[in-house]
Amino acid sequence: MPIMTPGAFAYPGTSLDFRTGSWRTARPVYQVRPSPCHAACPAGENPRDYLARMAEANPRAAWETLVAFNPLPAITGRVCEHPCESACNRGQFDAAIAIHNVERWLGDEAVRAAWDYPLPAPAAEAPEVAVVGAGPAGLSCAYHLLRLGIRATVIDRLPEAGGTLRTALPCYRLPREVLDAEIGRLLAAGIPFVGRTRLGQHVSLAELSQDYAAVFLAPGRQQPRRWDVDGRTPKDLHPALTLLQDWVALDAVPAIHSALIVGGGNSAIDMARVLARTGAEVHLVTHDAMPGPGVSRDVAMKAAPRDIDQAIEEGVTIHVEHGIRRLILRGEKVVGVELVRLKKLLRGDGRYEVVPFEGTETVLHVDQVIPAVGQVVDADGMGSLLSENGFFAAGEDMRLPGRDAIYAGGDARERAWGTVSGAVGDGRKAALALHAHLSGRRYETGPAPRPMAIADLNLNYFERAPRAEETLLPPGLRQGCAEIAAGLSPEKVGAEAQRCFSCGDCLACDNCWTLCPDQAVLKSRAPLAEGARYHIDYDYCKGCGLCAHECPAGYIVMEAESRPAGRQQGP
Amino acid sequence: MTTETLHDLRGDQPRFQGLEAGHRACQGCGQALAARLTLEAAGPDVVLANATGCLEVFTTAWPDSAWRVPWLHSLFANAASVAAGMEAALKMQGRDVKVIALAGDGGTFDIGFQALSGMLERGHNVLFVCYDNEGYMNTGVQRSSSTPHAAATTTSPAGVARIGKRHLKKDILSIVAAHHIPYAATASVAYPTDLRKKVRRAIQVDGPSFLQVHAPCPLGWGHGGELSIEVARLAVQTGLFPLIELERDVLIGAMPIRRVRGIKDYLRPQGRFRHLFADDPRAREELAHLQALADHNIEVYGLRGDRPDTLDSEGADTVHRGGRHFA
Repeated sequence: MPIMTPGAFAYPGTSLDFRTGSWRTARPVYQVRPSPCHAACPAGENPRDYLARMAEANPRAAWETLVAFNPLPAITGRVCEHPCESACNRGQFDAAIAIHNVERWLGDEAVRAAWDYPLPAPAAEAPEVAVVGAGPAGLSCAYHLLRLGIRATVIDRLPEAGGTLRTALPCYRLPREVLDAEIGRLLAAGIPFVGRTRLGQHVSLAELSQDYAAVFLAPGRQQPRRWDVDGRTPKDLHPALTLLQDWVALDAVPAIHSALIVGGGNSAIDMARVLARTGAEVHLVTHDAMPGPGVSRDVAMKAAPRDIDQAIEEGVTIHVEHGIRRLILRGEKVVGVELVRLKKLLRGDGRYEVVPFEGTETVLHVDQVIPAVGQVVDADGMGSLLSENGFFAAGEDMRLPGRDAIYAGGDARERAWGTVSGAVGDGRKAALALHAHLSGRRYETGPAPRPMAIADLNLNYFERAPRAEETLLPPGLRQGCAEIAAGLSPEKVGAEAQRCFSCGDCLACDNCWTLCPDQAVLKSRAPLAEGARYHIDYDYCKGCGLCAHECPAGYIVMEAESRPAGRQQGP
Repeated sequence: MTTETLHDLRGDQPRFQGLEAGHRACQGCGQALAARLTLEAAGPDVVLANATGCLEVFTTAWPDSAWRVPWLHSLFANAASVAAGMEAALKMQGRDVKVIALAGDGGTFDIGFQALSGMLERGHNVLFVCYDNEGYMNTGVQRSSSTPHAAATTTSPAGVARIGKRHLKKDILSIVAAHHIPYAATASVAYPTDLRKKVRRAIQVDGPSFLQVHAPCPLGWGHGGELSIEVARLAVQTGLFPLIELERDVLIGAMPIRRVRGIKDYLRPQGRFRHLFADDPRAREELAHLQALADHNIEVYGLRGDRPDTLDSEGADTVHRGGRHFA
């Protein structure tokens, strides 16, 4: 009913009686959409979310957001090749966020401040899972099981937990104190660890299957892959893995005048760097290309670009897209190799073929050839579970086909990521699948959603800002276990977090609230029930789409209005 | 969320909402946004005199009002005179309340022009805000003296004889500033912080002040409602709508343009300039003419920024987590 006033004037704000929302043909909806960093992270982390907490100057909440996916941030912050940063939309604007350094700082800060892992104490009647292998996959699986209320015991053939992190990662990349502190804290949070227990020798798989509700196998790849050139190998062949393990454990490196490392992965680069530090002349040959913009991951060296750069700084000569055609032997001892240029070319069937080019052969004189061409699984105690090619044929849910309660992941899996963060992700997926299995549900994974592209953002609202770079130890000072990368100061970590575009999630920038011509966006001082700061009042929203167009982060999407256009009730 | 909580939330907004929802502006209306932003900065202690026009019509469909401040409409031509009278009466009563006159470009450049000039000349303590949507949009998109050169309207159609409006956009700011008033400025809805800063400045001034706010009209300009801010931003970044401030007819400030865009970026999303993209030598000439007008503005007002500046055309709309920018 219209309100009649003596002077025929209207009371303030009475237009609220008129619901302009009925004009709408499309409605804006706040929708959290996947960020590219999240989609790219093999561990399943969502850097956008912890960068947001960090930008709000709440490091503890940031760390808790982070360890909801990855319990080892101080470690992965140092050793992961950070595909999140390659995917970061900011990389196409000025420079990617230094996510690895935020992650590293949060991990270190948690150790320093002794923040407890957010883990509930498992119920007394909770089922228990046996985890074989205390590397990143096994530890991650046990941790995530515990988060889900399932107890887990980790066994390992070595006396200490850590797996490949401990046996083969050089301490200048991952200092022992960082490794010991983070893994020690994780185990202390409630994960029983039984060392010096070798599967097939001290305990059998059948016993584990009988004593535990399920088994997760994460033995890693501990055997060097066989290597030869046309069936020939030098007499004094030492695989890189063995040499690296000796160096890590005993600080012992054989005296070599000149060496050629074969391979393009992290072990090859680590081996090359360790030898170069002894003053040896070190070459590295790989079929792969140098990673860089426009180079497909399929043909690029598997080692992290950062480590490749540091190896070159330290004097390693890298021959990319070269192969060994022939070993030049004097008796049984190698004195050189014949190299040939080659390329991995994409064939019609979608596979890459290595094509050597005739007439590009050169001779390189070296007195050692050290293969670092990958590792295979040590089959002891679980040989019957491995597929023909020597790995576990685990599916997306990490379950072994045909086995009900045996799961496997980490490097020992076929098509493994071959990285620490990949192993952490495998452990988490296995825990989720085990949790579903033990509670009698199906483990469902939907199709991977399309991550936000830079075109989905409104870049008008962002300013260029330089990326915070950490200082690196100069090559001349890189000795022993001195850590090369210094990390960032807390101030710089905060600044990096502020640079995040927040792709697909609310930046709380007020743009929608400020720019709505119809006052249909309401702002709340405290977070609303849905966790958001803004609420669209559909009684008045006319559906113009301005908020969605001007949202810097692409957090607002327009959806077609499903109801038929209602007749507006007149006054 | 329940109706009650929504109602409570609406009553608890951390800003002054002088213009309420439920008004009948078109989807994506630049003027509705500009009016709310103005009142947000001007605060509750103001009274408004509104000329006839879109703003008057869509905010006060009888018997409702979308306003939360005292508001008066009399005629198309006399908003400035009414405001002057209100100011004089309030002064007599000894009340310190700022009077704001609101008008579209018709009520400023054309029909309300002499009343505006008189108010400025008599030195009333009134802020006159012109929402410049470059035409008579309420009555069906007729050309005004603010319609830009070469734009098509129903009374300056693009056809065989002519290719949109023949005449130039009137330089109202120079005319107003020539009254030697303390403050006159242009602003744009694409830069809300800048707009509110200028409103606060204009409110503080003792004496007449004037703001010309560029406010896109999706209906009259022929672009999607979602593009209103985008189009307004491009008007600034091409140099076609310079954001400047004048005190006593002297240029005291201009928003530098960090990255000068070509005028086609601004013209292309708008239906009123569609004919300029036809394969026609006259269209090419008019494009060159409009580009020359933009270049002229950039030169005359010294708009080209020599280094990135947080208050230039790229920096002034930068957002931050937590919304401090718009606080």
